[in-house]
Amino acid sequence: MGYLEGISISICINIVCVCGIAILTGYMGLFSMGHACFLCLGAYTSACLTKYLGVNYFLSLLAGGAVAATGSVVIGIPTLRGKISGDCFTIATLGFGEAVRILMANIGVNIFGGATGLSGLEHFTDLKSSVVIAVLAILLTRNYAKSQHGKIALAIRDYADASELLGVNIFREKLKALMISAFFCGVGGGMMAHYYVYIVPNIFGNTMSNNLLTSVVLGGVASITGPATATGMLTAMPEAFRFLDNWRLSIYGLTLLIIMRVRPEGLFAYKEITAPFTALSRWIKTKLFKPTVKA
Amino acid sequence: MNTFLQQLITGISIGSIYALLAVGYALVFSVFNFSNFGFGATMMFGAFAAYYVILGLKLPLFVSILLGMAAAGIVSMMFELVIYRPMRKKNVMRIYLMIAGLGINIFAPNFMLQIVGGAVKGFPSDWARVTMTVGSVNITRSDVLALVMSIALLTLLWAFLYKTRVGLGIRASAFDTRTAALMGINVNVVASAVFIFSGAAAGVAGCFYGMKYSVYPAMGAVATKGFIASTVGGLGSLGGAVVAGLLLGFLETMIASYISTTYRDLFAYALLVIVLIFLPGGLMGRQVHDKI
Repeated sequence: MGYLEGISISICINIVCVCGIAILTGYMGLFSMGHACFLCLGAYTSACLTKYLGVNYFLSLLAGGAVAATGSVVIGIPTLRGKISGDCFTIATLGFGEAVRILMANIGVNIFGGATGLSGLEHFTDLKSSVVIAVLAILLTRNYAKSQHGKIALAIRDYADASELLGVNIFREKLKALMISAFFCGVGGGMMAHYYVYIVPNIFGNTMSNNLLTSVVLGGVASITGPATATGMLTAMPEAFRFLDNWRLSIYGLTLLIIMRVRPEGLFAYKEITAPFTALSRWIKTKLFKPTVKA
Repeated sequence: MNTFLQQLITGISIGSIYALLAVGYALVFSVFNFSNFGFGATMMFGAFAAYYVILGLKLPLFVSILLGMAAAGIVSMMFELVIYRPMRKKNVMRIYLMIAGLGINIFAPNFMLQIVGGAVKGFPSDWARVTMTVGSVNITRSDVLALVMSIALLTLLWAFLYKTRVGLGIRASAFDTRTAALMGINVNVVASAVFIFSGAAAGVAGCFYGMKYSVYPAMGAVATKGFIASTVGGLGSLGGAVVAGLLLGFLETMIASYISTTYRDLFAYALLVIVLIFLPGGLMGRQVHDKI
């Protein structure tokens, strides 16, 4: 497998996860500092399914997403209920994320492999399917954003009380956004497991959650292609700046600081990069439906 | 019984470090309603300042701790002046301030890693390493020092907050920042005082942590425990932060010695989640609502 192909697959996996977090953070305005735990749940579920039960790769991805979404309900119901402040949710996700990571390292050692992780997985994630899943994730997120759910989400984010007066069930909408985001992250985690063919609980730590959150914040609120581009940049940049050696991590933090200081709403806030998608749909149209020439 | 007493001492000394960190978080939160995640970095800078003062200038331990405090206070103040204050002026969402803090937390340890290297350094003080035996319990001097200095500093902070004019300003701003500003309180002075004091507390905590364990660029990670303590105690409540810090240190040590060390961290995070679910305001905090 080529070097560029590997980076492209990583970017695709990150795009899938970031699409979910864009719904939660960019549209609903909830910030999570522990979304890596949903990747962890998804990765372990799909890895166990393919390894022990020989389930189809794509089905296992869906199952991983479903388990992650179920897990998100556990944290979502107590913290999103009532008028508890948004900070409470942020802090609770931090605790939940770490707790899941430590639990995975300590329970069911003969199934999950404990702290040494789960190895010997099959290499199912290839470039073609990853790109398809990433594009699908972007399109699904776009559908969410354009549907009534996305509009309700924006209303809740900006005017929670007004939207409640209009009859929006805030708790249900927030939980919905959280579950969708957890589902996407679970799918991303499953792809990651079958790309690295080896997973340990420790990679799903704070750093990963922070990187995902950073991509969304850098990409901009209420945008899908913005965060997707940002995560692509953030994944590719360290590779391009290999010559900077270990300085790149501090540069990474500095970039985040400067963005927050100069343009806190993100680079592509309220904007979408549509050109590649219109080109894609035009290409599909010309391929599938040959334009009929009128006489 | 002996083991228990020994563990109790350890728990209290690590708990007093957590309490110092938690107070720093609570102080910033009470006035500005956001958690300063750059705190781990501040703590690390304080510890390194004290380390190099002892090594380079050969100053005695107490002076170097004071200098470490001062350095951490200045670093914290710089974060406020360069990052937080301009952002607050723009009226950005509070969560962006927290993300900027995360940026500091990514930047500072990696920056230090490049400057001084990743080696784990022992705190260069022989005085602190001496062990005293009381009855059948062994106590290192650094443990005693940590406890005594934490109590002294917390008392000093209390006196500052409740007996001076700037302290009154801080308390008024904690109650309602905008009204306090309208009443002629210079919020910028209050902000500087808050960040210097919380930074100094973090610096001291860093020194003690360095003495107890070691000094290294990633040591700021322990500030998460202080953050947990401040949340469990009630965001913005100083008393709650102290109580929860000591409690967390004590319970952690007990779990590590009587149940399992692997579940020590799990316990801290589980405590955080459980407290948030059943007591969103924390043990001693007021119920926090999003302001309209």
